[in-house]
Amino acid sequence: MLPCWELNLKGSRFRERMATMDTRRIEFVIDSDIENVSLLGMSINKICSSASFSEIDCFNIELCVVEAVTNSIKHAHHGEAGNEVKVVLTLTPKDITLDVYDTGVPMDPKMLDEARLIWPEEEDSADPDGIAEGGRGLGIMKEIMDGAIYRSEKGGNRLTLKKALPTTKIDSDP
Amino acid sequence: MKMEIIGEKIGEVEVLKLKGRLDASSAKDFKDRINSLVTGNSDKIVIDMEKVDFIDSSGLGSLVSSLRSVNKSGGDIKISSLQNQVRAIFELTRLHRVFGIYEDNNAAAISF
Repeated sequence: MLPCWELNLKGSRFRERMATMDTRRIEFVIDSDIENVSLLGMSINKICSSASFSEIDCFNIELCVVEAVTNSIKHAHHGEAGNEVKVVLTLTPKDITLDVYDTGVPMDPKMLDEARLIWPEEEDSADPDGIAEGGRGLGIMKEIMDGAIYRSEKGGNRLTLKKALPTTKIDSDP
Repeated sequence: MKMEIIGEKIGEVEVLKLKGRLDASSAKDFKDRINSLVTGNSDKIVIDMEKVDFIDSSGLGSLVSSLRSVNKSGGDIKISSLQNQVRAIFELTRLHRVFGIYEDNNAAAISF
């Protein structure tokens, strides 16, 4: 049996499971309360910083998880507490994968396919009236991560985000 | 993880010093604070983000919403002292072209 530990943190559950010596799998389970998201984000940032991600990568990965979990709470669960949102982090020597699960109202998968960071009508706009107030979350995730896939089946929704670890550069100078 | 908002003045310019995370949990408090300034006829506002170490799309949305609100009353919002990672998100989303961004509060205040 794989070693496993679990910790309760202010309504959050945090479980680490050693999948193999080279792969770490950690589960976070939070209640669908927006106040829980920052704690989750900061925890994932710390885990990324223990891998070989740069400070800016850690910030960006935290941002994408915060966006994904906030979407689950705001849209899938209509901002209502009392539902579980789970994030499974899998860290391998090559990459990090973050699976965000909820059991709320599914998102139309086209929203992720069609999400953009900058809409064509905003391309040259410096006028705040020409800029969307919201709707940047999915575009940010697609821009920052190397992969983003959304699936909805059997009453559950899963958004999978993946980012490769930076390749180690070999300095040829003596 | 509540964000702190401390209000100060440089001449007739209102300076809001933010501390913490500007995200979905703090965006409403921030917009409420801006709306109370607009209601009080303050329309020259500097947002000091030196101590904001995280911003997400909800936080960015609250800034855009606030800018629209202040613009409608004939005023403007300037942003100062962005941390590097937060500045990178402004640039990624191109909001650095929508807001006046300055190195410090005095530079932002005299730009009005």
